[in-house]
Amino acid sequence: MRVHLVRDVLDKQLIDVSGQNAGKVDGIVLQLRADKPPAVRYIEVGPITLARRISRRLGDWVARLDARLGEGRGVPIRIPIARVALDSPSLRLDINADRTPIMALEQWLRRVIVSHIPWS
Amino acid sequence: MKRLLGIALGIVTSIGGFLEIGSITTAAQAGADYHYQLIWAVLLGTICIALLIEMSGRFAAVSKHTVADAVRERFGLHFFLVPLLLLFFVSILVLAAEIGGVSVAIEMVTGVRFPIWALPVGLLAWGLLWYGTFSVIENGVSLLGLITITFLVAALQLGPNWHALMAGIVPSLPSKQPSHYWFIAVSILGASVSPYLFYFYSAGAIEEKWDETYIASNRLVAALGMGFGGFLNVAVLVVSALVLAPRGISVDKYQQLPLLLSNLWGRIGLGLFALSLFVTCLGATTEIALALAYQIAQGLGWNWGEDLEPSGDARFSLTYTIVLLVGTLLVLTGIDPLKLTTLSMALTAASLPVAIIPFLVLMNDDKYLGEHTNGWLGNVSILVVSVLASIVAIVSIPLEIVGGS
Repeated sequence: MRVHLVRDVLDKQLIDVSGQNAGKVDGIVLQLRADKPPAVRYIEVGPITLARRISRRLGDWVARLDARLGEGRGVPIRIPIARVALDSPSLRLDINADRTPIMALEQWLRRVIVSHIPWS
Repeated sequence: MKRLLGIALGIVTSIGGFLEIGSITTAAQAGADYHYQLIWAVLLGTICIALLIEMSGRFAAVSKHTVADAVRERFGLHFFLVPLLLLFFVSILVLAAEIGGVSVAIEMVTGVRFPIWALPVGLLAWGLLWYGTFSVIENGVSLLGLITITFLVAALQLGPNWHALMAGIVPSLPSKQPSHYWFIAVSILGASVSPYLFYFYSAGAIEEKWDETYIASNRLVAALGMGFGGFLNVAVLVVSALVLAPRGISVDKYQQLPLLLSNLWGRIGLGLFALSLFVTCLGATTEIALALAYQIAQGLGWNWGEDLEPSGDARFSLTYTIVLLVGTLLVLTGIDPLKLTTLSMALTAASLPVAIIPFLVLMNDDKYLGEHTNGWLGNVSILVVSVLASIVAIVSIPLEIVGGS
């Protein structure tokens, strides 16, 4: 099957194994290889990659902000391409996004703000 | 049977949800300043929004995508962001105008100035969204909006000259102050053709899990619901032409608005006007806040849904919370709700092509719509009206602000 990275993968919706929305494909990482065609290695998801597409400086700023959220943060969230399957019009992940940094902001907001609002 | 009830409910809620501060104010100004001469603008706006709502529902039913979601997918990040930022700016102003409308309605009854009410109103709208479900908001508030049928009753009781009224259906050159005429004409278009409406509508269709079997009923709901809603809007214009115009009242203060009904029915009229304004503006407030949160959440691929608990979509729920807060703060500054309304309606008209052109491209993409893509008539009419409205708005806004004529 022929897949066009920009048409079929970039900016498409990701659905995780539990059926929840797990962001859009914000970036695609290729590996350049000597004497062989480039290979797709990862997709990237999240605000750092998104901001870098607008400007390098904005991306660096978002990355610094993100780094404050904890150990291992401050770098783009990468998912190996082997974990992704085409399921038009979306892409399916065979992992649970709750266990990845994709949902870190969602979980943080839930814990720090939403859970303190009565009857929520 | 269930489907029939759904159609009836859809039509009734569209009628109840049609009027809000923008359409009431612009129609009242048109009637007061130009008698029946601008009825064509109300009808044109109604036809356009009916067409757009039908497209938006069809798009969601066939493609299972919301409009915001598809704009990001189809055009990529940059083309998603530019319209988003522009629409966000304009929609926040419209949101503030609606919160102002609810607050002004309370002022009309209590006599206590409107800025005081901004915070309780913002909180009420937030509570509806945070604790309510999509159907409670969409159906409950819109059903209460049927109170606006009082404008139709008032128009009929006043007994318009039908012959003169019919003449207003055909566009004509202004009898006086041409730049003001065109400013009001595009404000009327901006008030009825609100882009947030078709973003909101496609998200609603996804929340209610529409599929291709909904295409016909969607068409019926859009045509009848918006059509009758448009009649109510014409009724406001007619009442204004018969009540305000003969007394030489040009609507330049929001305190003049209740005269539309109080002149006819005294205190009860005042109460009915205030209630109409309260209910419809509250409905519009929740819709705009939701529409903006939908746009962000769908564009960035978050969990979203008015039927989820806020803990299931924290980013989405906090987005509409922030949006409501910003709108409320704008009203708290004491900014004049009437000026804010007319300006934000004209700005909406000016920004129409930015929202509508990408949407039209999607509506013609058979990858999303298969055999259900747009016909040429719908494409051309929407494109021409939105581009013309935008040009006229861009020319007439500065003229209106400097007070030229």
